[in-house]
Amino acid sequence: MSTASGAGLELRQLCREVGERLLLDRLDLHVAPGECVALLGPSGCGKSTTLRLVAGLDPASGGQVLLDGEDLSERGPGERQVAMVFQSYALYPHLSVEGNLGLGLKVRGMAARERQRRIDATLDLLQLGELRHRRPAQLSGGQRQRVALARALLREPRIVLLDEPMSNLDAQLREELRPELRRLLCGREQPVMYVTHDQQEAVGMADRIALLEAGRLQQVGSPRELYTNPANRFVASFLGRPAINLLALEPGRQLGLRPEHLHLSEDGAVAARLLRREWWGHQQLLWLDSQWGTLRVLTAPETPTPREPRLSWQRQHELWFDPQSGARLAP
Amino acid sequence: MRTRTSSLLLMLPALVLLATVFLYPLLRYGWLSLQASSVLTGLLPVPNGGANWLRLLDDARFWTDAGQTLRFALCSVALELVGGLALALLLHRPLRGRGPLRALTLLPWALPTTVMALGWRWILNDPHGPINGAIRSLGGTSYGFLSTPATTWFFVVLADVWKTMPFVALLLLAGLQTIPADLEEALRLEGASRVQILRRLTLPLLLPYLSLALLFRLAQSLGVFDLIQVLSGGGPAGTTESLALYAYLNAMRFLDFGYASTVMLATFLLLVVALGGGWLLLRRGGIARATERPA
Repeated sequence: MSTASGAGLELRQLCREVGERLLLDRLDLHVAPGECVALLGPSGCGKSTTLRLVAGLDPASGGQVLLDGEDLSERGPGERQVAMVFQSYALYPHLSVEGNLGLGLKVRGMAARERQRRIDATLDLLQLGELRHRRPAQLSGGQRQRVALARALLREPRIVLLDEPMSNLDAQLREELRPELRRLLCGREQPVMYVTHDQQEAVGMADRIALLEAGRLQQVGSPRELYTNPANRFVASFLGRPAINLLALEPGRQLGLRPEHLHLSEDGAVAARLLRREWWGHQQLLWLDSQWGTLRVLTAPETPTPREPRLSWQRQHELWFDPQSGARLAP
Repeated sequence: MRTRTSSLLLMLPALVLLATVFLYPLLRYGWLSLQASSVLTGLLPVPNGGANWLRLLDDARFWTDAGQTLRFALCSVALELVGGLALALLLHRPLRGRGPLRALTLLPWALPTTVMALGWRWILNDPHGPINGAIRSLGGTSYGFLSTPATTWFFVVLADVWKTMPFVALLLLAGLQTIPADLEEALRLEGASRVQILRRLTLPLLLPYLSLALLFRLAQSLGVFDLIQVLSGGGPAGTTESLALYAYLNAMRFLDFGYASTVMLATFLLLVVALGGGWLLLRRGGIARATERPA
């Protein structure tokens, strides 16, 4: 993917070093026009760093940021036509909703009439018309998020960046807003980069997920690719809740088995003892004690559970890893 | 009701303290200003039916000093605000050795005014001060900086600015640190220049701190006493005399306590009017609104 050049956003060998610390290590990533790629990973993995490098807010220590084949590296943040939605929304507290939208256009010298036309159109698009005279302090969390989004879209940017745009909203609102955010952002001409630490959000928003850890890209691909065919143990255990079971079955090899791939059966190879069950309505999660430690097993909610069940699985679901490096091994 | 009573109770100690050190002297001034109380009356208060106030209205020295005090306050406060803002912006930027630099800038403010004023007086001494020493060593003749009205006035303002600019800078620096960095970044991404960011974002958000500094400094400089008393003694020929100095003179040199109280009270009233007016103006300018910030 990363070798394809031309249309879209392309990161080539992008690095960021602060002092001795390597925050981002030679990242290669391509985001096609209209595509939404989620940068996913635990905190400190380099996802926000990547976003700031693309925006030009921090200088890269190496590598290039290309947009439609054109190198942006030498350009300042104001000259990249990048729109960014910040985690805090970064709304100007002294200005009304209209003022927040208009300030960027004003500093670039757009005439008042044209400015008003654009503001009105964007407020209509996001159904914010009634709030136009409110100040950020007088808006709810969801409304602030929409204003931040409106401000980003208003500019008709060439790249859209979102830094954890929903992390300040409650879970229910997040789920409600996801389809709308997708409708507004994705499928336009711009490449979209979406930073999140929430895998549900990444799966819900993005066409592809780039999973980072400790400044390194671990794997990039569709959610299905990452889930079914993880490149290493980190990817396998980061994606999927409840987390994958890791069993030191053989010396020098570690077996990964997803909780939904373990079955209760009378002739199973592994003996276990029931510790606890969590009933979720559509599924139930069993915590079992076995000779390889605690195992998580997902079953249908009504499955009867003996006190000392035996477990089995299919060979096709086995994921093998190197116990030291975590690298994926052939089965 | 309970909260109201208990909050009043909680404020009581402070109110008592304020009443003792502010209210009582003010009332005493008010009473004394209606008495003749000088050497002529043997320093005993004798009611004179407002003669002090009539004298004040007609006292050219009082009104000259009022003008001089106002001019001093406006000039030095304006310079302090501009300089303090520049200093604060500089110290706010990520610099190597920013911590020690910040401490260093505060040094003039930490010096007692009297000590500082004496220092300046020595620096400007004719002919033995270091400035005149330098002038003479370059072949010039030494100059009486504190003997001509214009240079004296200039150095009185300079000394005040030098001493209190760090205070203003510190206050504004605190204000700058309340502005989240992402606001500036958002505006930078929209293509704003440094100057535009300052004008459209930083200054409006700094407004509450600027007005606070302005009011603080106006109040202090309108009541200036120690700096002028030590540096120029109000001279030459009274051209740097402030109202506080004049009141002090009336009480301590002329021993006219009745009239000194009148001058004091009049100064206080002028100050209240100036500060109250300034405060109202600033409030209408939207300080309150600028301080709001989404949670």
